[in-house]
Amino acid sequence: MLGCSEATDVAGTDTSADQPDTEVIAQSNNEKTQGIVLLSGLPTLNTKDSIAILELDPESAKFGEILYEYELPEFDAPLHHLYYSPNGRLYATGLGSQCSLAEISLVRDSTGAPAVSDVECLDTQGQVVGEDIMWHSVNGKEYMFVTFMGGTGTEQPDGGSVGVFDPQDNSVIKVIEARKSKVGENEPYIMFPHGISAYGDRMVVTSTIHPDLATGVGNALTIIDLNKMEPIENIVTEDAQPVGFPSSPVEVLFVRPSIVKNAQPAILVNTMFGFETWKVPYNESDKSFGVPEKLYDGATAGTGVPLELYGTEDELFISHALPGIVKRYSLNSLPELVSSGEDIQAEPGAHHMIFYSTASGRKLIAIQNNLLNLGNAADNDPTDVDFIAKVNHHSLTVHDLQTGERLGEINFKDKFNKGIDNIEALFGSGFVHHH
Amino acid sequence: MVLLIAGVLGIFILTTPRYDAPSPVETFNVPFVFGRFTIPTDNPLTKESIELGRRLFYDPRLSGTNQISCATCHQQALAFTDGLAGSVGVSGKPLAFNSMSLANLMWGPQRFFWDGRATSLEEQALLPIQHPDEMAQDLGLLVKELSRDETYIALFGIAFGGISNEAIAKALASFQRILISANSRYDQYLRGEISLTEEEELGRKLFMAHPDTKASLRGGNCIDCHSQFLTSGFTAQLDGFSNNGLDNDAALLAGLSEVTGKAEHRGFFKTPTLRNIAVTAPYMHDGRFNTLEEVLNHYNGGIQFSETLSPLIVEADNIDNHQGSTISLNLTEKEERAIISFLHTLTDEQFLSDIRFSDPFKEAPAK
Repeated sequence: MLGCSEATDVAGTDTSADQPDTEVIAQSNNEKTQGIVLLSGLPTLNTKDSIAILELDPESAKFGEILYEYELPEFDAPLHHLYYSPNGRLYATGLGSQCSLAEISLVRDSTGAPAVSDVECLDTQGQVVGEDIMWHSVNGKEYMFVTFMGGTGTEQPDGGSVGVFDPQDNSVIKVIEARKSKVGENEPYIMFPHGISAYGDRMVVTSTIHPDLATGVGNALTIIDLNKMEPIENIVTEDAQPVGFPSSPVEVLFVRPSIVKNAQPAILVNTMFGFETWKVPYNESDKSFGVPEKLYDGATAGTGVPLELYGTEDELFISHALPGIVKRYSLNSLPELVSSGEDIQAEPGAHHMIFYSTASGRKLIAIQNNLLNLGNAADNDPTDVDFIAKVNHHSLTVHDLQTGERLGEINFKDKFNKGIDNIEALFGSGFVHHH
Repeated sequence: MVLLIAGVLGIFILTTPRYDAPSPVETFNVPFVFGRFTIPTDNPLTKESIELGRRLFYDPRLSGTNQISCATCHQQALAFTDGLAGSVGVSGKPLAFNSMSLANLMWGPQRFFWDGRATSLEEQALLPIQHPDEMAQDLGLLVKELSRDETYIALFGIAFGGISNEAIAKALASFQRILISANSRYDQYLRGEISLTEEEELGRKLFMAHPDTKASLRGGNCIDCHSQFLTSGFTAQLDGFSNNGLDNDAALLAGLSEVTGKAEHRGFFKTPTLRNIAVTAPYMHDGRFNTLEEVLNHYNGGIQFSETLSPLIVEADNIDNHQGSTISLNLTEKEERAIISFLHTLTDEQFLSDIRFSDPFKEAPAK
């Protein structure tokens, strides 16, 4: 299975045939309990950004230890998300302009241990603030799609782009850009894209928030026709505004047969400031999208800032940064959200997660608890942008997957004077879909 | 008496050669996706042990007739195989088993030979030397013979402190561990350096897929057994062995069951690496297939049923509700060709001629 990425689909042939080697490799290695993380130096604590490999088995004496660390060059903003390609190549998006997309070369040294040999910032043709990556085949050709929340410049008040890359040589094939101010009235636009998902020849990206977190907030999805690589429709997913902002759709999942056999295709999307999860039905025969339906209302349920959607073989997990929980749903019931168990109690900022098994066979989930790592007000850090109170716990909590019982916690700020930006299992998370 | 002992000890110390410590092997990197490997702590890779192992590997003095070396049956240009169905050693009689390719042996089950009878490369190394049909060498005599060679005296001295059976095994194991192949076209593809052709790409997808007619997914079912095809098989011990339907129950050989004593392992043989497979014909443990086309034809209609036949092979069929009596993938000719085309991408030309792995006795003298 893939790492922090979408399952690879083939347009029109809905298949997971192209299973990458990473899961197979993971199954035959003794590193299944290790995670790879992006760590952010906290300016007031004089630490630097790095990529680290950690032991995450609570039964291990080395639990929480950094087994390997590679110090990153100083960029204008941290690297943000890690993704394994279907061929096991490791990529990272970055929140700045100096390195908004990078390929990380992993090797094994002469002791057999994993190591980073290079971090190459890729030419994005001016696209900045990289967020999510998805590998997807269109008409038999494979592409790497990347959302750039800053588009071709953060000075644009309505910027944003989807970069289409050659997945072999990382070259830009196309920049899909349609600024609201540049297209005609009622014409489809792309603005602050973040979440990305696709089924067949239809792709969906979300309109989240301007990278400066002040200029603007989105409230819609953009549908892209992958045959033309052009936006064709916007769909607003917004209801009440519990914090007074537009809904800010964030992560998105196109539910499709390769994820759930015989599922009625539909888009699921979390709204960061709407606190909601929406469903947008998809009629595959005429390629039309139905009226959005709110499936979950955090404002009434006591949760806020829903973020990620991750799946295992039989469940879908949605993280809610406030109060810091992960909700779980039956995979087979998708696109409806049917609870499959008690919430997993994480910490404020509950965000990314990985799934893995210990050497003894116990199934675990590790949850990264922080929204962004741009500083901490408690340390008088001027870069603090913790705009919603207490969503940066700087920790990773490890839980029994079945019971939710917390088995361990690593607080990166306390232990390493750093924050954690993203986590991925060393060989890919073992989850089947994300975003 | 004390003085006598001290005197004897003094003489011993004075006459025992003192050797430099072995040098650690130069740092090297291998692909991350190969997975974790471990090297025995009592036989770390050193420059001297590798050099010594290479020399021993190519030295015919390792055989009782001084005519057969390891390289006789493990030729570099053939990915360390010999092109024969059954190798021929000092006895002149073809062996029952096909010479196994040597590449990326640090990965995969640390069980060697087709039936997995050796559980380390060190253990494996001495068995062909002593086998009467292979090299027919007496290890005691071999140690004496090597002890008359100053180059060996020096290399063994530095690497292991002296010449012994154990040191011979360790040196050969070290050389075999360093036979790392990581630059085939498929490796280059994985690194993003090249793209595969359309046919190779189709073959890759078929190779990776178990057929699922309900999902309209066609597959060659290769990955089920050859999951670690770039290295040397599963790391999980006996998972790297299976019965791939070569023979029916009456003709089934013991295979792994000879080692484990378990009936359910009858007919199980080690799933070999597919790296450099295009140059390692003939195929299977007994070399019964001369070409990759014959191999594909086997899986595409030639499977023989037996009690221990892999269930993954039994159920792999690209035709829904297939009522035929044969077990077959039912691939099309185009699909067979595509898989073979993909298999050719696994050839690592650099490895096949890498001077670090070549015959040191044929090296041109330094000018």
